[in-house]
Amino acid sequence: MSAGEAVFSGWMKIADKTVCDEACQHAEEEALSALVSQYSGTLYRVAYSVLRNSADAEDAVQEAFMRVLRHRDTLSEVRDQRVWLIRIVWNIVLDRKRRSKTRPETDDVTELARVLPAGGLSAEQRAAAAEHHAHVLACVEQLPAKEREVLMLSAFEELNSVEIASVVGITESSVRSRLFRARNLMAGLLNHARSLR
Amino acid sequence: MNTLKQNPFVHDSDASNATEETLRLIASLPAPEGLEKRIEAGLRATPRRARILPWPMENAWVRAAAAAAIVFVVVGGGWGVVSLVQPSQPARGIAVPTVAPHGTAPGGFSNAGAMRTPQTLDHPVVAQPAIVPAPTAASAVKPTAKPVAKSTALTGKKPLHKPVVPSAVPSASTKKQPETTRP
Repeated sequence: MSAGEAVFSGWMKIADKTVCDEACQHAEEEALSALVSQYSGTLYRVAYSVLRNSADAEDAVQEAFMRVLRHRDTLSEVRDQRVWLIRIVWNIVLDRKRRSKTRPETDDVTELARVLPAGGLSAEQRAAAAEHHAHVLACVEQLPAKEREVLMLSAFEELNSVEIASVVGITESSVRSRLFRARNLMAGLLNHARSLR
Repeated sequence: MNTLKQNPFVHDSDASNATEETLRLIASLPAPEGLEKRIEAGLRATPRRARILPWPMENAWVRAAAAAAIVFVVVGGGWGVVSLVQPSQPARGIAVPTVAPHGTAPGGFSNAGAMRTPQTLDHPVVAQPAIVPAPTAASAVKPTAKPVAKSTALTGKKPLHKPVVPSAVPSASTKKQPETTRP
């Protein structure tokens, strides 16, 4: 085959490649759309548990899917997409949390009172429940970062200890030991708060 | 004996339950309405995948030609810039000194018309006369016959010594030309 024929056949392949690119792009868009519809709720809850602000949590989920869109070529290589997505959004929200340290703590109570389910409670009871939860969350904030992260992730029923270990990037035994320490510390903090009252 | 209440490192079940309850409540909050649509709309609004080189690079020939062209342009441009900017450097090697022309000092420098003045002596030095040995009789003898003959012709005196006569038995070299060797 001469060089001219080779080039010509190359251009013919190029046309085929363009058609393939469009098909692949369409398939990628569909896969991404399926991911959004399947995991956006889970990712939102993970983000909200850390940020405790619905707008910030939604932004974090949006950013997580933007990162997925950027690395969609490697989407087929991911073994567990759910854990992979949770890990992405977890890193995003931790980064955002580190940056927004100046947010006033009173926003937590207000936000909690707004989002907590009413459940037939009166306004006073709802306010009291919101205050209680805010107090518990304030104690959670006093925990060391490693223990706090594991404790917050353990509250999600979707995640077992192996998956938590995969999200945080540690071993399963480390997850269990950190969880044990976190619960002990939380008990001490809450008992101390009760004794002060 | 420590009880559960006294030991702070043994987690209280009430406190643990309260923590779990709060965290689970937060973790089970429903996502806001229309979250998926907003996220999908945001993803659609993002620009498509940008390509630095939208050329078809599937074929190996085209790829190699493109790579060669890029290398040629880069190297050629670099060479042009270097040849324009870089000053001419002296030739590497050992410089061989050339023969200086007349009136020029070695090394390529001229003497600028300067003349060399010899160093003067501090005081006159008496030269010692050379001792000439007295002429002896042996030294006056002329070794050849021709000067002797000339001297005798001029003075008219007899020579002090007899001229050298070839021997009666000539040598091998003289045997061939007997006429020329005769006085």
